[in-house]
Amino acid sequence: MGIGIDITEVKRIEEISLRHKEFLTRVYTPREIEFCTKKRNKYQHLAARFAAKESVLKALGTGWSGRIGWTDVEVVNDRWGRPEINTYGRVKEIVQERRIKKILVSLSHCRDYAVACAQVITERG
Amino acid sequence: MDEKEITEKVRMCVAQALGMDADEVVPDAMLFDDLGAESLDLLDIVFRLEKAFGIQIPRGGIQSNVLGSEDVKEEDLVKDGVLTPLGIARLLKEMPEINPDRMPEGFRAEDIPTLFTVQTFINLTQKCLAEKEKKGA
Repeated sequence: MGIGIDITEVKRIEEISLRHKEFLTRVYTPREIEFCTKKRNKYQHLAARFAAKESVLKALGTGWSGRIGWTDVEVVNDRWGRPEINTYGRVKEIVQERRIKKILVSLSHCRDYAVACAQVITERG
Repeated sequence: MDEKEITEKVRMCVAQALGMDADEVVPDAMLFDDLGAESLDLLDIVFRLEKAFGIQIPRGGIQSNVLGSEDVKEEDLVKDGVLTPLGIARLLKEMPEINPDRMPEGFRAEDIPTLFTVQTFINLTQKCLAEKEKKGA
């Protein structure tokens, strides 16, 4: 089991998105971009997803090391709107190698900040 | 472009990303501890360097040279998130600018970015420029 938490400033996400067009496509999956950019408070949602990606990597204890890419961790919402984590690439390999059963994540955001907390559940608990 | 020019341009990119005076951004300044950078700032710096130098910094960025190599298995370099002696040796070889005293026993791979200095980005830029030149040759 592992946990990770992260806080992200919404204004910084807005600034970097506006300054660097490649930011969105390098960090977020097409599904995340579609979800967030439809929202009125899109930068809050983008910030929450950024925090989620960081918190998942902290929970896995890997950080952004090796061959891990930002889009290897994707936040989607289930039919009730609850956030869920999908993994791809190197992160998916790590999840399989460590027999991780589930990655739980909780998000929250306001005008200024977004926070995320992730928990990694292995077969052993 | 000579080394001095690269250094000045990298310092400028880092200073702009962090909203600081370029004079404060000396090569041995540590990004997190000395300059107060956050992880999002590292991305901002990477994008600025890519634009300023016309280079492409690979995903996984700086650490990919250390832990993403095909010639050594990742599990020989990192065990349970902790760098092995081989991992530390490789890190010091790939990033000679870092201070080994900042890696106590049990140093975790996820904490590698805390070792980054301005010089780390100067070296990375030089490497990417050399690769770009090689490809163009």
